[in-house]
Amino acid sequence: MTKTDKSERQAAMLRVQQLSFALTEANLYLDSHPTCEKGIAYFKKHKEALDKAKAEYEKKYGALCIENALDENDKKWKWVCEPFPWVSEYERSEG
Amino acid sequence: MFAYEKRLQYPVNIKNPNPALAKLIMSQLGGPDGEAGAALRYLSQRYAAPTREVQAMLTDIGTEELSHIEMVSAIIYQLTRNLTPKQIKEQGFDAYFVDHTTGIYPVSASGVPFSADYFQSTGDPIADLNEDLAAEQKARLTYDNILRFADDPDVREPIKFLREREIVHYQRFGESLRIVTDMLDERNFYAFNPSFDKPKKK
Repeated sequence: MTKTDKSERQAAMLRVQQLSFALTEANLYLDSHPTCEKGIAYFKKHKEALDKAKAEYEKKYGALCIENALDENDKKWKWVCEPFPWVSEYERSEG
Repeated sequence: MFAYEKRLQYPVNIKNPNPALAKLIMSQLGGPDGEAGAALRYLSQRYAAPTREVQAMLTDIGTEELSHIEMVSAIIYQLTRNLTPKQIKEQGFDAYFVDHTTGIYPVSASGVPFSADYFQSTGDPIADLNEDLAAEQKARLTYDNILRFADDPDVREPIKFLREREIVHYQRFGESLRIVTDMLDERNFYAFNPSFDKPKKK
């Protein structure tokens, strides 16, 4: 894996992490402010962007959730082919 | 039910091993104010919450704590990779190593294994939410204490993120406590336990 590939994957993951974090924040806020219109709009906006970011990541770098572990033409279980998230970029590059 | 997402909530990429620091950070996995206790506390208490808002809050914060267990474990895993016997001995990791090698085991910094004694689930939402507020502050100060001993920016960044989450959760539990007290007789919150006593309806 080249250096550019790695940083592109990391950037795609960071985008998922950032958008998902925005949703987590809105989620907890809305639990105690369930009628806040600004909060509802914020959640909707980021949910749409998160869906796109996740789809983009999964298409290139492997499934994030088990429902998306198999594509139409897959003959092997790719879930076990990509590293688990506690494996650092340093460990990945050790091969 | 819970579904797994194959990613961390916040990136953890640590280059240099540091078993001495791993031993300290382990407290936020299995120590008295760690993430395992937090997750179990909120996910156990939620059944006694008297309103949907507070049921949601305990469920959603409890769920976030599960992802913090994973982050803290990843930090410890990465800090204890590729250790030499010399590093293990000199950095005081030998006692842990004998019991667990470099496996992840929930234990406090002072070596006490995780226990459910670290939290309560009283069945009384006012008592529970007051415990939750204290728990978030205790976890925050534990992260503050860890930051006193952590120089490596690879470690400090995810620890600072986790510290910040304690402050946000404290705020949200404050709102939850207000929601519960607002629904009770404001002259005497403690007249009865809204999750157990069923006062006569007029």
